[in-house]
Amino acid sequence: MEKNFIIAGFGGQGVLLAGEVLANAFMLDNKNVTWYPSYGAEMRGGTVNCEIVMNDSEDVSSVNKSDADFIVALNQASFDRFLPKIKKGGWMIANSTLVKEIKTRTDINYLFAPVTKLADKLGNIRMTNILSLGVLAKISGLVSLDVLEHALDTVIPPHRKNLLPLNIKALKIGYEYDLSPVNA
Amino acid sequence: MTECLTKTNKKILTKGNYAIANAAIIAGCECYFGYPITPQSEIGEFMSGKMQELKRAYVSAESELAAINMVLGACSTGAKAMTSSSSCAVALMQEALSYAASDELPIVLVSVMRGGPGLGNIYPSQGDYNQATIGGGDGDYKLIALAPATVQECVDLTYKAFYLAHKYKNPTVILADGLLGQMMEPVEFGEYPYPEVDNSGWALTGAKGRSARVIRSYAPSADNQCEFLNRLHAKYKMIEHNETQWEEINTEDADIILVSFGSPARNAKSAMKECRKLGLKVGILRPITLFPFPSKRISELANTAKKFISVEINMGQMIRDIKLAVNGKVPVELINRPVGNPPSVDEIVERIIKESEE
Repeated sequence: MEKNFIIAGFGGQGVLLAGEVLANAFMLDNKNVTWYPSYGAEMRGGTVNCEIVMNDSEDVSSVNKSDADFIVALNQASFDRFLPKIKKGGWMIANSTLVKEIKTRTDINYLFAPVTKLADKLGNIRMTNILSLGVLAKISGLVSLDVLEHALDTVIPPHRKNLLPLNIKALKIGYEYDLSPVNA
Repeated sequence: MTECLTKTNKKILTKGNYAIANAAIIAGCECYFGYPITPQSEIGEFMSGKMQELKRAYVSAESELAAINMVLGACSTGAKAMTSSSSCAVALMQEALSYAASDELPIVLVSVMRGGPGLGNIYPSQGDYNQATIGGGDGDYKLIALAPATVQECVDLTYKAFYLAHKYKNPTVILADGLLGQMMEPVEFGEYPYPEVDNSGWALTGAKGRSARVIRSYAPSADNQCEFLNRLHAKYKMIEHNETQWEEINTEDADIILVSFGSPARNAKSAMKECRKLGLKVGILRPITLFPFPSKRISELANTAKKFISVEINMGQMIRDIKLAVNGKVPVELINRPVGNPPSVDEIVERIIKESEE
């Protein structure tokens, strides 16, 4: 089984880091995984995304696929750009603090969660990315909270370890967020 | 990033660029000289920290010309030395590569290809296949060229590059692309798997207790140069005989054989699997060494296959080597993207279906 995720948002929202944590989690789960960033002439405040492809039986073949199973859109521009790329029956997980809740496609599932607001309430708006990873973990059922915590510990460098407890808290808030998903 | 990479048997998730840099360190690279350029700058960044930590030589050179000539100098002492760069900057290094081939020096060059010609752009490309396999320097010389397709292979082929460069005293290039350099995958480094090559017979180490040695690429008489070139090319023949490496899947009964190296080979492999599901007899041959190129094997397969298709991110460069190997026995087609991400799996499958109907 191969599943393909795209996490997208503003440069500075921690999109690449969230992807790196997810990819590490899949690796720790003994799955094959590839992480690939969008790159180009980027600047702060521009849009950025990364793609994570997980395969639980064979090597990951290609990245830059034409479609995705799960999209996490942390801003409106990413929502608009990636909505058409979601596979039929796939998921759009959107940051409702910054994204308008409009469902133009009827063949996919949506989850709108105010991840920026929730991170702010937690005391650090920069937890938006990890909080949304918690939501993604719950929705996808493809990675456990334990493994994600372990992955966070792997990715966060020694001089930032003081932020680990807050990140884990953010992860849990995302995971426990009342989903009440709206099925298509 | 730097701190989480060490000599370890644990799997870690890392970028192709970091994988190459860390593997070079494990391989015993004593000197790194370089100048930054996207999409390979992480190699220099990593080296700038680790090499100094290990008390090895790191020089941030003033230009690519300086960097490659510093490698040339370091290699003349028998040291394991490398540089890394990308397309338009590797172009600046061509003169020194010709000198190194002539001097028979074990230079390791990492070339992470981006868009060209000229300054081009920073997106992935394979536009430097010709640059690596034919070369832009003067004279009849060859570089050994290795082409990884996964981050793990970035590690394995970096080890191999140091070994082959020293074993054959020949400049060796690791030809990756922007996609591989930037992507992260789980890798295991393990130990450097090759024996150390004895270079005490030629290295310039100071002439204490022995007669002086000279390494130079100047042969004033025509006879000398003829003799030298014949010997150099006998070495290339030996490299072809000993070191040609490729991966081959489902070629035995294949009507269509895809030939692809580096990152597009991943898409080509997926496309091959899709085609098999559709009942089409498709196989794939992935050259891992570009020089030496698996010409002999392709020539054999041309007796049974009906068509070859080269899959590349350029306007069609490796296709020339495939055509030379096939030697007119069957048609050779091209599926390409000029620059950027490789042709998608769907695109390749669609073309194969079309080609198989013709």
